[in-house]
Amino acid sequence: MEETERIKSIEEEEEEIWSWGAGTEGQLGTGKLQDEHKPQLIHSLSSFGPISHLSCGGAHVIALTPGGRVLTWGRGTSGQLGHGEMVNCLHPKSVESLEGIFITHASAGWNHSGFVSDTGYVFTCGDGSFGQLGHGDYISRCSPVQMLHFKARHVEQIACGMRHSLVFLKGDTEDLIYGFGSGKRGQLGISDDKQKSVSTPQVTLGFENVKIRSVTANGDHSAAISVNGHLYIWGRAFHGAPDMYTPRRVTADLLFSQVVLGWNHALVLTGDGEVYMLGRYNYNVPTGAQKANGMKHISEDKGVLQRVLDFNSTKVVQIGAGAEHSAVVTADDGSVMTWGWGEHGQLGLGDTNDQTGPHVVSLCNEQSRKPCVGRVYCGSGFTFVIRTYTVNSSF
Amino acid sequence: MSYDDVEIEDMEWNDELQSYTYPCPCGDLFQITKEELKIGEEIARCPSCSLYITVIYNLEDFLGDSKKHVDPSKQQPVAVA
Repeated sequence: MEETERIKSIEEEEEEIWSWGAGTEGQLGTGKLQDEHKPQLIHSLSSFGPISHLSCGGAHVIALTPGGRVLTWGRGTSGQLGHGEMVNCLHPKSVESLEGIFITHASAGWNHSGFVSDTGYVFTCGDGSFGQLGHGDYISRCSPVQMLHFKARHVEQIACGMRHSLVFLKGDTEDLIYGFGSGKRGQLGISDDKQKSVSTPQVTLGFENVKIRSVTANGDHSAAISVNGHLYIWGRAFHGAPDMYTPRRVTADLLFSQVVLGWNHALVLTGDGEVYMLGRYNYNVPTGAQKANGMKHISEDKGVLQRVLDFNSTKVVQIGAGAEHSAVVTADDGSVMTWGWGEHGQLGLGDTNDQTGPHVVSLCNEQSRKPCVGRVYCGSGFTFVIRTYTVNSSF
Repeated sequence: MSYDDVEIEDMEWNDELQSYTYPCPCGDLFQITKEELKIGEEIARCPSCSLYITVIYNLEDFLGDSKKHVDPSKQQPVAVA
């Protein structure tokens, strides 16, 4: 308290939220049902105060406030918005049935959603036809329902993919990852054999004595980062190699801090601010062109880890991956750079071109010159950015 | 270039669209109708973008409804655990 008085200034934070890309389900929060090729400054969230976390799915978005409130918008036809009905919503709307519960973590999958409370409870809603809601059945739900399977446990995170989900919890003696939903490509990691679908959580194999930092899921892929910086992947293979039915550690002489997944690629950030990519984009860009720009081969392991260069020589602080595009926030001034598939404007570069290497997104605003902290979040075909500016008002 | 090869059993029947569907990376759905499958069409398109997938299926399964319905009854009952 004394410290603040001595400085004699008030530090205020101002937040900007931008979105661009595919928008025909209302997922951009612009109030329009159209694609945007250039970043749009979103005003529809300002009445809810600052946003601490976003998660973008197939065509819907979940936003969390620092006070643990949940807002959702976009496609809702499977119940993934949790509004108690199966309709789209163009504007951010509070999830009423979670009011009074402090939600600290959320994940948006293709058509389903997961929420974790400060007390370690986990709730799911949306498409349940593959068992991905984990309630022991294959029924879709339009309001978040608590997963009774974890009622006596303290869940840390949930990660929602296309047709599966992962839950990560800290046990008394060890960390555990559970998988449920479609396991056809090995994305649950629960058995050496092919599994179709499970609707009750099953323990993911291979994490005995591993301290987990985070889990993530997208498409038919799953990944985890351990506290000591190791990367594990399982599920659908990245290059026509056999699918991985149990988690495999990616052997590299690197320490990883974040992993994000697309439908055919994974992006990993190292503790040193370097970015590596596994797999490749799988849309109709000639294979030769994909390797041409900004890529440097690191190993010819089963999974080829390629270093992504060309971030204007600066380090990267955060990464995001859509189904077929990638985004990073750079360390120097919080610039956002994107590359990959661009047909819906998801790169935010003002056109629909694909890009084989990173390009700076122009977030034009009078404040854009001030130093800021940026965070980027990608949905299947769209992108969101939150920028926080610290404004010093001295007396 | 086809975005992916997808088996028909991995596609979902959508009553509203009267089509088999599979998620498209743009957020929309690849779609193919029973009529298209009956005439041997194997490309499912996304109405929102340029991408398409190749559908892997047995043409015979879609030629005439009778055959499809008769076959399972000929099989031995399967024990369900």
